[in-house]
Amino acid sequence: MAMVVDELPEIDFSDYTTTASTTNSTTTPEDDHCRDWAAWSPMVDWDALSVHPEENFRDLFQYDMDDETDKTVSYSDDDKNLASSEAPVMETPVSGLSDDLKGLRLVHLLMAAAEAISSDNKSHDLVRVILVRLKDLVSHNEGTNMERLTAYFTDALLNLLESSGGGCGGGLHYKQPNHLNHHHRADVLSAFQLLQDMSPYVKFGHFTANQAIIEAVTHERRVHIIDYDIMEGIQWASLMQALISRKDGPPTPHLRITALSRPGSGRKPISTVQETGRRLTAFAASIGQPFSFHQCKLDSDETFKPSSLKLVRGEAIIVNCMLHLPHFSYRSPTSVASFLTGSKSLNPKLVTLVEEEGPKVEGGFVGRFMDILHHYSAVYDSLEAGFPMQGRARVLVERVFLGPRIVGSLARVYNREEGECGSWGDWLGSESGFHPINISFANHCQAKLLLGLFNDGYRAEESASNKLVLGWKSRRLLSASIWAYSEAD
Amino acid sequence: MFHSKKAGAGSTTAMNSLHHNHHHHHERSNMCGVGPAGNNHSTAGSGTIQGDSGLVLTTDPKPRLRWTVELHERFVDAVAQLGGPDKATPKTIMRVMGVKGLTLYHLKSHLQKFRLGKQPHKEFNDHSIKDSERASALELQRNSGASSSGMMGRSMNEMQIEVQRRLHEQLEVQRHLQLRIEAQGKYMQTILEKACQTLAGDQSMAATGYNNNGNKVVGNSGAGIGMNMNMNMNMNMNMSTSSTSHLEQAAVPAGHRGSVMLFPGDHVPSAIKDFGSLNFPSFQDLNLYGTSQSPSPPAVAAAGTATARKSPLMWSDDELHLQDDHQHQQQEHHHIGVLSNNSSEGGGGDGCDLDPTVPNHIFETTPLTLASSHNVDHIHHHHLGLGPLDHSKKLERTSPRRPPLSSNSSMDNMRATLSTNSNSNMSPQGRSSSFG
Repeated sequence: MAMVVDELPEIDFSDYTTTASTTNSTTTPEDDHCRDWAAWSPMVDWDALSVHPEENFRDLFQYDMDDETDKTVSYSDDDKNLASSEAPVMETPVSGLSDDLKGLRLVHLLMAAAEAISSDNKSHDLVRVILVRLKDLVSHNEGTNMERLTAYFTDALLNLLESSGGGCGGGLHYKQPNHLNHHHRADVLSAFQLLQDMSPYVKFGHFTANQAIIEAVTHERRVHIIDYDIMEGIQWASLMQALISRKDGPPTPHLRITALSRPGSGRKPISTVQETGRRLTAFAASIGQPFSFHQCKLDSDETFKPSSLKLVRGEAIIVNCMLHLPHFSYRSPTSVASFLTGSKSLNPKLVTLVEEEGPKVEGGFVGRFMDILHHYSAVYDSLEAGFPMQGRARVLVERVFLGPRIVGSLARVYNREEGECGSWGDWLGSESGFHPINISFANHCQAKLLLGLFNDGYRAEESASNKLVLGWKSRRLLSASIWAYSEAD
Repeated sequence: MFHSKKAGAGSTTAMNSLHHNHHHHHERSNMCGVGPAGNNHSTAGSGTIQGDSGLVLTTDPKPRLRWTVELHERFVDAVAQLGGPDKATPKTIMRVMGVKGLTLYHLKSHLQKFRLGKQPHKEFNDHSIKDSERASALELQRNSGASSSGMMGRSMNEMQIEVQRRLHEQLEVQRHLQLRIEAQGKYMQTILEKACQTLAGDQSMAATGYNNNGNKVVGNSGAGIGMNMNMNMNMNMNMSTSSTSHLEQAAVPAGHRGSVMLFPGDHVPSAIKDFGSLNFPSFQDLNLYGTSQSPSPPAVAAAGTATARKSPLMWSDDELHLQDDHQHQQQEHHHIGVLSNNSSEGGGGDGCDLDPTVPNHIFETTPLTLASSHNVDHIHHHHLGLGPLDHSKKLERTSPRRPPLSSNSSMDNMRATLSTNSNSNMSPQGRSSSFG
């Protein structure tokens, strides 16, 4: 025992931050970290190490030295890699580390967990251990962006762990994240408003789509929009405003909106489709927009049956598909595909699609996991950049919207086969009959102005002639694309 | 294109590294191809050196490459040889051009500009009108030598007309955008009101609210919380049903209680504005009055929409306590006083010479742009009469600098990870690597 105690100071983690040889807080800590982490290398070593992954782990964690000391020290004696070599690992007392280092450690832990969960031997125990540790380190409501983000990713991984036990269904229905059910309606509403006001994510998609619609229907007298996921209909408020104030062409066209509704209204914490319809009707009336609203009820398998729609001769049909924030859950790909394919038979004049930039297709689960992590960390950063003081507000938005999406996103990625993860934009591009429509100068201009309202870290760029992409710093986040359909293709 | 406002990017480092901060340098590098071709010509304050490679470098503290007409022509030739600006890469161009001293960095940014220049209708400069006219004309002119398609024949007049047209279009867009945002806000209001009414019936809301620490007091139902969030966020909501919030009482100006008036003149109550007020202590700081910027966090002109006449007056102390950082309260208090002077809208511009500033802000790079509030408001008040485009004032609205994002940002952690862990699939890059 005595020996043990004496040896401890060698692995005194608290020196980590101050030792000149390792961390150097003045110069780029990341670079210095390079060397240390490489020496430690969370991912590779674990699998290579001995039979008990937990043993490996204990060495890396700083446990209370009471019972664990024996194991810890003895292990470290055995294993040169991890032991008292210079890489005193991550678990220094939290207060001793800068946020950077903390964040880095969290990322490494997450990566490790992702690796473990996707590896062939599926060492679920290891994953669990990591996740438990992560849960200790982070909280949903406090801490830095990275910490809160990690909390949600931890949840997501746990979710995967639990669901993968019982046969993954890459199938029709993605498990509705549990968080959703626990939200108070008012919270959801507040978060919704906050999300809109704090970030351009919602408006970007809506306005870009609307502008394209407006341009497409300049000479139409009747417009019929089929909305895949209307939520509470806010997209259409600005469209109506634009329609009533249009100058050229025939006067205000009659607007019809058909909203798809799904059974199981648990998904609509803000409002049901009927309520939305009423609200839209009232709003239209108040501004003088001729309007009518319809519902198209889907079955539980969400197959879109275009024949069930009521069409009017002479109307221009627009198909609107919004898949991004704040639309809550991921729609199953079969549902979306069914919708888009089904819409062909309607001969739409325009198809507007807004979706999140998805993770890269290649790279396996870990690669995609990291991509998603980058994605959401950019989102978090963008919110913080705009509203550094409004921590509580951001926490709420994260809890209501971002968290569930993270969970859903990971589930989707985990369950999908390689190569299935393309974007819907790409899918449309390769489907026969759809061809791209250029984003107009006005549209692009509007997007830039809109983003300028928020923060100069946002970017709008045309990534294709028919696609506008919203990004934060250099990370692409959302894309809005415009398509037309003609049979003769 | 991307108008990066990272003024501090430091092109010195760019010059030295081959690295890919070309966004920043895109802006920084002095792409005056149209400038005097003479090699020994000096710009104001800096001399030029002609190296024997034929490159003209300036001698100012941040040495920049001058793209002379000759050099540019060689560039264009090389690009043409390589099959066009989309096929050519900086590396291959460099090889083809064979100019000593030319680095990838130079080529990258020049190529990017070139590509942009080929599609002039996508160019969008955030400068003032005059600047952007000039800039656009320059772009067109610059590329007239390079482009093989029709621009050669264009006269300056035609180009000017083209530029003017585009600028007007931008103004239109801005106007429409404003209206659309308002419409959306009004609609949002109807949602919230409805929700309020339903929630009001549910449970008592007296118990909920924000205490002075800005901690959300978790009430018995989400209702109160939500409502109060809304209160706090959205001062101008007509939530007369709630009796708890002193904010609301203080906040909602009489004229706006109880009705959902959808007049264009109405400002849009939205959390943006209120956040704006929360964050951005004063419109004073937005330099709307020509004062210099304070280093406070920029008014994400979320201060944006038509806040002008309302808000900050109404903020009560407790509201301010909402913020997590109490330090800002000092500022806020101070500025509330300031604001009170201005919040009288009708006051045809006492110190409120906002009107003429409208279009400027479109073209200024700051987030304050969108007709931050006042402008928008005035747009409406003056029936969208923007007046002549002689907005020479306020050209130099310095963009409010954000406190540099702390390295806490999780993105940085990402990058750090990348650079450390070669197992990841992404190529390790510098801090400003592009993920997109």
